[in-house]
Amino acid sequence: MIATLLFILFAGMAIGCAIAMIAQRNPLYSAISLIGVLISLACLYVMLAAPFIAAVQVIVYAGAIMVLVVFVIMLLNVEDEEPRRNRLGFLVPTAIGLAAILIAETAFILYSVQSSPYTPRDNVSNVGLTASVGTGLFTEYLLPFEVTSVLLLMAIVGAMSLARRSNLISPTTRVVSGSQVLSLHVIDPQSRDVETVVETETTAEARSLMGVDDLRNPNRQG
Amino acid sequence: MGPQLSWYLALSAILFTIGVAGVIIRRNVIAMFMCIELMLNAVNLTFVAFSSFFQDVTGQLFVFIVMTVAAAEAAVGLGIIIAIFRNRETLDVDEASILKL
Repeated sequence: MIATLLFILFAGMAIGCAIAMIAQRNPLYSAISLIGVLISLACLYVMLAAPFIAAVQVIVYAGAIMVLVVFVIMLLNVEDEEPRRNRLGFLVPTAIGLAAILIAETAFILYSVQSSPYTPRDNVSNVGLTASVGTGLFTEYLLPFEVTSVLLLMAIVGAMSLARRSNLISPTTRVVSGSQVLSLHVIDPQSRDVETVVETETTAEARSLMGVDDLRNPNRQG
Repeated sequence: MGPQLSWYLALSAILFTIGVAGVIIRRNVIAMFMCIELMLNAVNLTFVAFSSFFQDVTGQLFVFIVMTVAAAEAAVGLGIIIAIFRNRETLDVDEASILKL
């Protein structure tokens, strides 16, 4: 009885947070709702007698991955989405009709296989404890475990090569000394239609890219 | 009578459907990314439910590997998102509809 109540509580939390996640316009609120879903799922894993997976869920998902996502959201300073203009037209009622058919089929299947075989759980099992997970992982499934490490290495290399700031400067761009970023027409009023902006890390780098010597302040080294 | 296996499967199906709907209706690429994470979690719930009800630890090992794949996906996906933002100054996927960055 208490298990049923807990299931309803955590399942309701998960579904509510998931709906809130896709209904929010602000990505940061979406991320926080997703963290709610992940915590609810961790609680359900504990109810399913899988404490190790529950702990990994909280540490890896709600901890590491979501911190990374929130960090990127804060870094990019994204704005709220505007409501999408309706460009589907007649497809909306078609989609509603197809969804109704799909839900009817699902309800029929759930109704017809109501008496599914149910294996009663014995409470003395050690499935899901850390020892059994580790034994399975390092004996029978050792090869997938090792392949996973290669996958992580590839992910590290890929993420670094993707997020690296490239140093390629096209011939039509101009740079400004220092860390300021200015539009090109601020420096050169002749070229109003060129929009390219270049950012440099140091003054010396900007000076070399512009091909000028800093005549105003010759003693200062960038 | 505690929670049945079919309850967990129904919850998993609902969460997966919400994730698919989010990928379809959201335009912000970070929100779509989070909806993909939600779908992965729905599948994880199915694995753990079967593993628990059939007393087999293999399902939980799969969940472990799926979490690793999700972490790798997060690293590469967020790198791609940062690259898109750096090139286009927006996160709207409708603005990034060609493969050229």
